[in-house]
Amino acid sequence: MNKRLVITGAGVVSAIGCGKAASLNALRSCRSGIGPVTYLKGGPEGLPAGEVHLSNEEMAALAGIQVAEASAWPRTSLMSVLALQEALEQALISGREASPSAKNNADAPGNASLPGQLSLQNIPVIGGTTVGGMDLTEKIYPKVSPLHGCGTSTDLAVEFLGGCKGATTVSTACSSATNAIIYGANLLRSGKCECVVCGGSESLSAYHFHGFNSLMILDREPCRPFDASRAGLNLGEGAAYLVLETEESALRRGVKPIAVLSGWGNACDAFHQTASSPEGEGAFLAMQKALGMAGLEPSAVDYVNAHGTGTPNNDASESAAIRRIFGDAVPPVSSTKPFTGHTTSASGSIKAVFCLLAMQHGFVPRQLNWSTPDPACVVPQVEPLQKELRHIVCNAFGFGGNDSSIILSAYDA
Amino acid sequence: MDSKQIIMEQLITEVKLKLIEALNLDGMMPEDIDNNAPLFGDDGLGLDSIDVLELIVLLEKNYGIRIDNPAKGRQVFQSVAVMADYIANNRTK
Amino acid sequence: MKMVSIASGTDLTALYRKLVGNYPKFFKMDTLSKLGFLLAEMLVADDSDRFTEREDRAVLIFSRRGCLANDLNYAKSMEDFPSPSLFVYTLPNTVAGEIAIRNKYQGETGAFLLEGYDRPQIDEIVHQVFQDRITRDAIVAWIDCPSETEWTAQAWIVSK
Repeated sequence: MNKRLVITGAGVVSAIGCGKAASLNALRSCRSGIGPVTYLKGGPEGLPAGEVHLSNEEMAALAGIQVAEASAWPRTSLMSVLALQEALEQALISGREASPSAKNNADAPGNASLPGQLSLQNIPVIGGTTVGGMDLTEKIYPKVSPLHGCGTSTDLAVEFLGGCKGATTVSTACSSATNAIIYGANLLRSGKCECVVCGGSESLSAYHFHGFNSLMILDREPCRPFDASRAGLNLGEGAAYLVLETEESALRRGVKPIAVLSGWGNACDAFHQTASSPEGEGAFLAMQKALGMAGLEPSAVDYVNAHGTGTPNNDASESAAIRRIFGDAVPPVSSTKPFTGHTTSASGSIKAVFCLLAMQHGFVPRQLNWSTPDPACVVPQVEPLQKELRHIVCNAFGFGGNDSSIILSAYDA
Repeated sequence: MDSKQIIMEQLITEVKLKLIEALNLDGMMPEDIDNNAPLFGDDGLGLDSIDVLELIVLLEKNYGIRIDNPAKGRQVFQSVAVMADYIANNRTK
Repeated sequence: MKMVSIASGTDLTALYRKLVGNYPKFFKMDTLSKLGFLLAEMLVADDSDRFTEREDRAVLIFSRRGCLANDLNYAKSMEDFPSPSLFVYTLPNTVAGEIAIRNKYQGETGAFLLEGYDRPQIDEIVHQVFQDRITRDAIVAWIDCPSETEWTAQAWIVSK
């Protein structure tokens, strides 16, 4: 019997706020973070995005990084540090120079001091990103910043927190963070370790903003997932990390599990480099795999947090896959991308944190910006819905047909 | 041929050459592309949705014509003849 | 275990014509994807039931620089008109997608960035991917492409 894997820490930063409390507030009051771009220079004109409403200097100050050094940090790494600090603090994992509020808990660098506390130095970290330090490179192009690399941006954040037992970076476009979580889960399942930290981070960059624009899949208006008039996605940025450990480890440490990671699946659509197949094959296979692993019938699922980018293609394809899985009994579905924009490589972990908040507080995040049904799409949850959420399916699909799905389940002692 | 037809012939050849270059149609020559053959779909050159986008860039870059959505692009890029005609009527450079 | 490689600087068009010849989408790919595509071709050309959909084979790409060579080409295109066809290949996992599309692999695909070629680390990651019940083998490739004319490219198939 496979050991249960539980989530014991979660941290997030996105356009709807820094930290879980701010995010919960925004989700419950239907307050979107999408708007005109403020900090990013050089992107295409007139396109809204879900920018984190903090400058690099402000993020550095929150993280306990010398503000004078902020301009030398990739924005992706700054957001990683903030999200990591929140997750580690909740899971009682110490790292050097943790966030100012946690400083009271940290002893000498790298030493665990409270009962049950672990040191980050003994824990692997898996991050997902695609642009890495692109924002720094853009300032000096055609030179490439030494901090440009995807792996480097994860390493930098981890180093600041005192180092870990091996950092890995997954780069599979918009499913990166979910795949980082899956990789972490595999490490636990194989017995390689008892605790991992996994997630992803991505900042806006002129590079990929222009790239998405050249694919003509950006909407000049706020995105409208599953709506008949939907015209594309809005880009976003952010970071989120989960602390995953075996139930045994959490109980031994006296750390309360937030939820169970009960299933996961990754499959390839094998259709096109950027478009999804009409029947949503990859998405269907990923969700099917996840449900199979969790030993759940589709009828047990209380909520699907969809990839739901708002592009004509994804939403129809994903709807086809959802209908194939759930038949006539589709549970409440929503996409939280109208809150944050599409945070690309970080989206899987940001959405996972939102799902944890939804589960803890018993509500389905409402579908914003939807008014007209499309026969090719599911009808998302528009009205407020307080509901006990015992099992949540959370999807993230990346270019290259890389489709991933995880299932978060309520933790019963 | 009158001068108008000559100009059109030249434009068609020019469009074919740019198409071959922009879409990496390796080894193809202008004479391999029929003016009226469909560019998309299995019967044609088998171009896909990314190719439509690349042709939209080609039109703006070389002829100053802006196409705002891929659906309009598919109409314009039905064949080289339709494309050349559209360019002749809408070019700004 | 079958291992294949493509020597740095090989004429990839000539190799494509020798191994495949009837897949024009090859010419749209960046160098990283061309290398991955051809390595996979060398590994599976003689598979029985080739081109039948399957979920039990993973495709895992390992690299240090990913698609950096193409990234720079795309960055150059941004100077006047960003090119959508170049942008498509500014992801280190697109190559896995190309292999999957060609061979109808609907199983796991992944792309990992490492500091350098580290076979034990690669084997460890592959071992982790094998933790699910469905995956039975994997095409594993180490492709590092500092430029479009020089690279290290090798691949192998490993079973659970």
